[in-house]
Amino acid sequence: MPSQQPTESVLNPIVIVGAGHSGVAVAAGLRSRGWEGDILLLEAEKEAPYERPPLSKELLKAGAPDESTVLRKEKFYHDKRIDRRAGLTVDAIDPAGRTVELSDGSRHGYHRLVIATGSRARSLTVPGAELPGVQALRTRDDALELKRALVPGARVAIIGAGYIGLEVAAAAAAKGCDVTVLEFQDRVMSRVTSEPVSRFFERLHEQNGVRFVFGAAVTAVEGSDRAERVVTADGAAYPADVVLAGIGVVPNQELAAEAGLQCQDGILVDDDGRTSVPGIYATGDVTRFTSTIDGASQRLECIQNAMAQADRVAADITGQAPADPEIPWFWTVQHGVRLQTAGVRHPDDDVIVRGTPAEVKFSVVYLRDGRLAAVDTIAGLTDFRPAKKLIAQKTRIDPLLAADPGTPLTDAAFAAS
Amino acid sequence: MSNNKLTVIDREGSTHDLQWEPDQTLMEALRDNDLPVLASCGGTASCATCHVFLEKEVFDTLAERSEDELELLVDAEGYQECGSRLSCQLAFSQDLNGVTVTLAPEE
Ligand SMILES: Cc1cc2nc3c(=O)[nH]c(=O)nc-3n(C[C@H](O)[C@H](O)[C@H](O)COP(=O)(O)OP(=O)(O)OC[C@H]3O[C@@H](n4cnc5c(N)ncnc54)[C@H](O)[C@@H]3O)c2cc1C
Ligand code: FES
Repeated sequence: MPSQQPTESVLNPIVIVGAGHSGVAVAAGLRSRGWEGDILLLEAEKEAPYERPPLSKELLKAGAPDESTVLRKEKFYHDKRIDRRAGLTVDAIDPAGRTVELSDGSRHGYHRLVIATGSRARSLTVPGAELPGVQALRTRDDALELKRALVPGARVAIIGAGYIGLEVAAAAAAKGCDVTVLEFQDRVMSRVTSEPVSRFFERLHEQNGVRFVFGAAVTAVEGSDRAERVVTADGAAYPADVVLAGIGVVPNQELAAEAGLQCQDGILVDDDGRTSVPGIYATGDVTRFTSTIDGASQRLECIQNAMAQADRVAADITGQAPADPEIPWFWTVQHGVRLQTAGVRHPDDDVIVRGTPAEVKFSVVYLRDGRLAAVDTIAGLTDFRPAKKLIAQKTRIDPLLAADPGTPLTDAAFAAS
Repeated sequence: MSNNKLTVIDREGSTHDLQWEPDQTLMEALRDNDLPVLASCGGTASCATCHVFLEKEVFDTLAERSEDELELLVDAEGYQECGSRLSCQLAFSQDLNGVTVTLAPEE
């Protein structure tokens, strides 16, 4: 399909706010889809756009270089005529006048505006949360600060046993820190996975020296001039030199909300990334949308979604057909063991374990109304690829066959679905 | 400008001749030249969306695949024992100048 090109009246650039995974992918996607008009990519952080996943994984390893993995080399932006400006925030949007206002006071008109402002770490609000030694992990600066603090023997308290908390727990344990994870729920990763997977990773962490405290309601961080201990509601105190809060993320939607775009814990967008205001798109962590698979309203915080939505935005702007929707997927690596998930599990899905969690490599499938809805694969991707297809086709699965790891998942599908 | 060349056969079977800058991994050379390589893990051997096939003669000259790389590849679509590589794990080298690579089917 030919790419729609800017007409004579379109002298304004496509303005992209935020040069994270999604914003950069929109710029790249516009060019690969043949858009020839100007592209202005605005980013609050000063340095070249970088990858976030390594911040809680490779970057924290002992001896790993401090350099971040850039999303694209400088030459790419130059070759593709992407006008990238760093260290500037977009402070306001005027949808009627189709302009944005920047922190340096300048104004820029836009042809289309793409909001890719991502999310930020939810901050800890208990007394003492502002003490030095307490931090979150979202940016490269956060990661470098954490890396410096993770010295052998350091007492590390991690609040929240989600992906980031657990990846940091693994990195800290590997560096010889004394690690305690404080979690309010009764198991790790309870929001994203089932009990068998939680229990497997708890054991794995414990074997590597990580301590867990479940049902822990953190009420304060105490210390005279920096964090010295974390206190929970039952009165217990956990000594800590480093306190990492990994308690989820909040979408950076304020800019959009103030401009009158509909937001509900995320900027509301349709399948093509269009917001409620004509000419304005949003993509990535900052959005909330309706799943094409199960109709659920969701906000996804993963690279796969950031890239897939970006491509749909680029397709819509250039008037081209988007790629087929992809099943969302996510990965995490803890103590060298990879957990890779396809689809979005719901808490009341039927849980079928394939294989023996004690043997490291296994997977767990999730059935909703008898149909495959999600899969977790641990330390092996055998079920991952077939599952993505079966989930997309909402395939009915025979639970007995699926429970046998020797039967390929595809063969567990009921013939008549 | 370098004179390092690379020939790519895409998923439709069309051939593309590219420049391969010495500071790029093979994945970056593919992606930054607009070939459909998603590289969603950013080149950290975590996603297998940068899977390519090399000719056996070329494959044999390269260092062994790491455990991580192999783990992802064996379950990838169309895995070839003596041909599959994650392109993000291949840095440019003079030996690779002029090679032909084929994009593996999409996951
Ligand atoms: C430590 C860590 C590890 C992760 N690991 C994984 C993983 O293993 N796998 C996975 O799939 N996902 C992982 N994620 C999640 C993944 O990084 C996000 O889903 C992804 O970054 C979302 O991309 P985005 O472009 O929407 O947002 P971001 O990458 O957050 O980018 C948004 C950008 O917008 C900028 N910005 C915000 N407001 C403004 C403004 N007003 N003006 C200008 N600029 C602005 C911000 O500075 C930021 O750079 C991880 C995240 C973190 C923090
Ligand atoms: S880019 Fe993800 S494995 Fe190569």
